[in-house]
Amino acid sequence: MAIRGESNATPATDVGASSSSRMPWRVAEVTTVIEETPRVRTLVLRVPDWPGHMAGQHVDVRLTGEDGYQAQRSYSIASAPEASRVMLTIERLEDGEVSPYLAAEVRAGDRFELRGPIGRYFVWTAAVGGPLFLIAGGSGIVPLMAMLRHRAAIKSTVPAYFLYSSRTVEDIIYRGELDRLAALRDGLTIYHTFTRQQPEGWTGGARRIDRAMLADACPPRERPRIFICGPTSLVETAAALLLDLGHERGLIKTERFGPTGTMT
Amino acid sequence: MTTDHESDSAPPLDGNAVGGLLRELFVLDITAATLTCGGCGITALVGDVRVFGGPMGAIFRCVHCDTAVMRVVHTPTGLWFDMRGARNLHVTPHA
Repeated sequence: MAIRGESNATPATDVGASSSSRMPWRVAEVTTVIEETPRVRTLVLRVPDWPGHMAGQHVDVRLTGEDGYQAQRSYSIASAPEASRVMLTIERLEDGEVSPYLAAEVRAGDRFELRGPIGRYFVWTAAVGGPLFLIAGGSGIVPLMAMLRHRAAIKSTVPAYFLYSSRTVEDIIYRGELDRLAALRDGLTIYHTFTRQQPEGWTGGARRIDRAMLADACPPRERPRIFICGPTSLVETAAALLLDLGHERGLIKTERFGPTGTMT
Repeated sequence: MTTDHESDSAPPLDGNAVGGLLRELFVLDITAATLTCGGCGITALVGDVRVFGGPMGAIFRCVHCDTAVMRVVHTPTGLWFDMRGARNLHVTPHA
């Protein structure tokens, strides 16, 4: 898919100049591509005049074909606000319209349109406080990783509990960095569970996230700020179990993947 | 505007997911604003409301009573916005 490069292009679908000045489409250039797992890549982007973002926010990405056909998807920002570049981590979906390009074809130097940052709801800042209870399945880790990176960057020591469900060890996104963050011993505890295949000798979680795992990871009496991101079924199951365990509704924030898994 | 339940077979998103679409209408990011349902009077954060649709159009539905509290849709003639189902929208200054 060819990508339109003009930053001042006004798409037919915009309602007028005022909308693009509020949150304009910007042309992002890929500077580096990082292979995270066989199905997941991180794109490091140069975004002119990027206004900065908060951990947990997302962007809209728009690709334009040579025939003018446009496809638009939302992707969570993986990088901390402190990072010098905006990073998106994208999982390849076989039937996806946008992700096969971003997760397989795109190369350093390629450009595409992006707007953001978007969302004030699924956001963690130091002012939100802690403890933090993060729950993710697969590429649902992306906005939560921005929170963990931000927490490390500001040297926050609020307790953070991260429950992460992956299919196998090889599917853990940011595996090395998660190990390094946990080794800092600054109050972060990471619990892995593997739903398809467990490493030899593994004594941790070996099933989908369930009530016992949620109860063990962080009790309601700590009144954690909870962020859940992943496939709809995981998000809804975890949120219902957490309410049943006694966590407060107002402290639980969710981010579901779309029907085609577009919201990473 | 499409019929209300046309897109209901697809699983819903969170209101937060279509924050970009809302920014085409609002000066502020309203995903952390509070919306009061005109049907049952319950309040919820816009980012927490169930949304059906995508970047070209979305229906926001009350979690409690299923009332369509907001509808936003792109058409060839422009952008339509319908808030009949909401009693009010409370936007607080960002921290």
